[in-house]
This record gives sequence, structure tokens and C-alpha cells, in this order.
Amino acid sequence: MIAAIGLVLGIVAGLFLEPTVPTWLQPYLPIAVVAALDAVFGGLRALLDGIFDDRVFVVSFVANVLVAALIVYLGDQLGVGSQLSTGVVVVLGIRIFSNTAAIRRHLFSA
Amino acid sequence: MSDSDPDPAERPGPPGDPGREPLRGRARFRSALHPRATRAQAVAAVLCGLLGFAAAVQIRSTQDAGLSGLRQTDLVRILDDVSEREARLQAEARELEDTRDRVSGNDSLAALEEARDRARVLGILAGTLPARGPGIQLTITDPDGEVGSSVLLDTLQELRDAGAEAIEVSTVGGPAVRVVASTSFVDAGGPEDGSGVEVDGTVLESPYQFSVVGESRTLAAALDIPGGVLDVLAQRGAQGVVTQEQTVVISSLRATPSPRYARPADADDAADDE
Repeated sequence: MIAAIGLVLGIVAGLFLEPTVPTWLQPYLPIAVVAALDAVFGGLRALLDGIFDDRVFVVSFVANVLVAALIVYLGDQLGVGSQLSTGVVVVLGIRIFSNTAAIRRHLFSA
Repeated sequence: MSDSDPDPAERPGPPGDPGREPLRGRARFRSALHPRATRAQAVAAVLCGLLGFAAAVQIRSTQDAGLSGLRQTDLVRILDDVSEREARLQAEARELEDTRDRVSGNDSLAALEEARDRARVLGILAGTLPARGPGIQLTITDPDGEVGSSVLLDTLQELRDAGAEAIEVSTVGGPAVRVVASTSFVDAGGPEDGSGVEVDGTVLESPYQFSVVGESRTLAAALDIPGGVLDVLAQRGAQGVVTQEQTVVISSLRATPSPRYARPADADDAADDE
């Protein structure tokens, strides 16, 4: 519940503060958001599986974001930034879908 | 209800027990919805807030970002496209300016006048314009029908050799045909019956009349040489009368021919062929 409130608060803050994204962060922010989304869905699934652990959640959240950013950075340095970004988004998307499938099975037994 | 007081019915069953899993998960979800000041809830709230914040910022910047959100390679590509387009448009502009200069320049008036002169001269040669000038009238009276297409053609060639610039052949008081490079003479009937000569599809009867614009004395002399046209006519029992006139008016015209196959060749093409 508090997590949901935190999510709403964050969205509201982002909409009303209207911060400008620093230039150096611009390529990484979209990938970081997708990676964080994956971590959140993973955490939700772990919660329903009964194996939720806040330490694991924090570590997976931060690690997801950092690894995603690192991959994008590496891709940019190698000249395959856009392709690698697409790849990362695809992989994370697949993970999100499988996590939501597990969550769905828990919640609706279907 | 919390995780600490598990209902016996919701105790974790053996793995792979499909009947109990959903109930367990739903109960956990319900329990997680209860706000509690546990560390796990706080951490999750902070991270979820971070995610929401970042997502909102990103969505906003994507919506109002024109070029600033694009990565370097995309920007380079767009720049390339733009410069290519610019080069193309500049080339087009140069071409149009050249055309404008050619059309509006002072030289163009002289060129236009020259082109008109040329069109007039060619029009006289091609028989698309009426012509007038000094010249001769040659009248051939052929009572016996002995003057056929070959005689008339010889006459025409003689006139051309003598420098005729515009020629019309007609029946006196009848149809007239402008003579051009492609004009043909065909016997309309047998040589005996005297039914005339077909010139470019028009049947002409005796007496024939050639109206010729050119140097009148030269033309008259060319016809009058011994063994020339007038002699031949006399041999065939026909009579040729030449009158030199100050002004001969040739008013019959030909339709402008439009070639089906031939096209003007550029000077470059001609050079290539050599």
C-alpha cells in the first residue's frame, strides 16, 4: 500500500516539478525506467510467492538500473547503442511479461 | 491478517499443488495492501516513488523533446538528410536562376528576333507561310495531253537550279499546290487521255501554271536555254509562256508536317556519332 502511494507521489512530483533531464542522463533514463519497472514487477511476484525480501528488492532494483545503463553506455561506445538499447528493452519486456503472468496466476488463479 | 498468523488452510502446500497456490498469493497481496511501517514497505515505497518520478520525467521530456532527446547517431543522420536536401535545393535554385537570366537577359530579345527570322525563312521553305516577291509566271498549255509528270518534274528541277525560292503549281483558275521538298508528281491517267497530273494528291489539268519567286531574269533564262524546258514543251506540242513579274504572290500553303519518327538531334549527339 505504501509502495503504491510512493509510486503515485513520485509520478505527481515528476509531473509538477518538471525537472529537466541532464544531458548525460538522457540516453540512460528510458532504459533505467524499464529496468526499474522489471525490478518492481519482480518484487511484486516475490511478494506473492512469499519470498519477498527488502534487501533483495533494493539490490535487484539498483543492479537492474545500473546494468541497463552500463549496457547502453557500452553500446554507445561501441557504436551499437540503439540496437543494444532495443535488445535490453526486449529482454526486460519479456521478463516483465513472465512476471505479470506469475502475478496473474496468483491473483486470479488463471 | 498478516504473514505471522497463517491460517492452517493457507499453510503452504506441497510444491505444485495448484488448488492452494492462488489463495495463498491473494492473501499475501491483501496483507501487503495494509499500510504498515515496516522497513520493507518503506523501501518499496521509496523505490517505487523513484520509478514513478523517473517515468514521469522521461515521459514529459519525450513528449516535448524535439531534437534534444535524440542520440548522436540519429542527429548525424538527420543532419546528413538536411544537408543533402539543401544541396539538392541549391542546385535546383541555380538551375532556375540560370533559366531566368537566359529568359530575361538583354541577349534574349536579339535571340528571339533571330528565332523569328529563322522561323519565317523556314516557313517559306516548308510552304507554311505565304510568299511574295519578284519572279516569273510559267504557263504551260498542253492541248494534246503530252505533258506528263516527268516534264513537269524536269521543269521544277530547272526552276530550283535557277534559284527559285518559292514555287506554286496550279491549274490556271483552278486548284493550286505549294511545292516543297517532298512534293511529288504522278500521272493521273494514261499519258494519252490527257487527264492531268496529280501533285501531292491534287489533280491538276492543263493549262498548268508555275508561280515562282526568285531572280526573274535567271529563271526565265534557265527555262529558255536550247534543249531546255521550253524546247521540250514545244517538241511535245505544248506551249510554254514565261512572263517576268515585279511581284508574284504565292498564297497556297501546306500544313506543318509533324515527323512521326525523326527528332531534332543535339549538336552533342552529332559530335558523338562522328
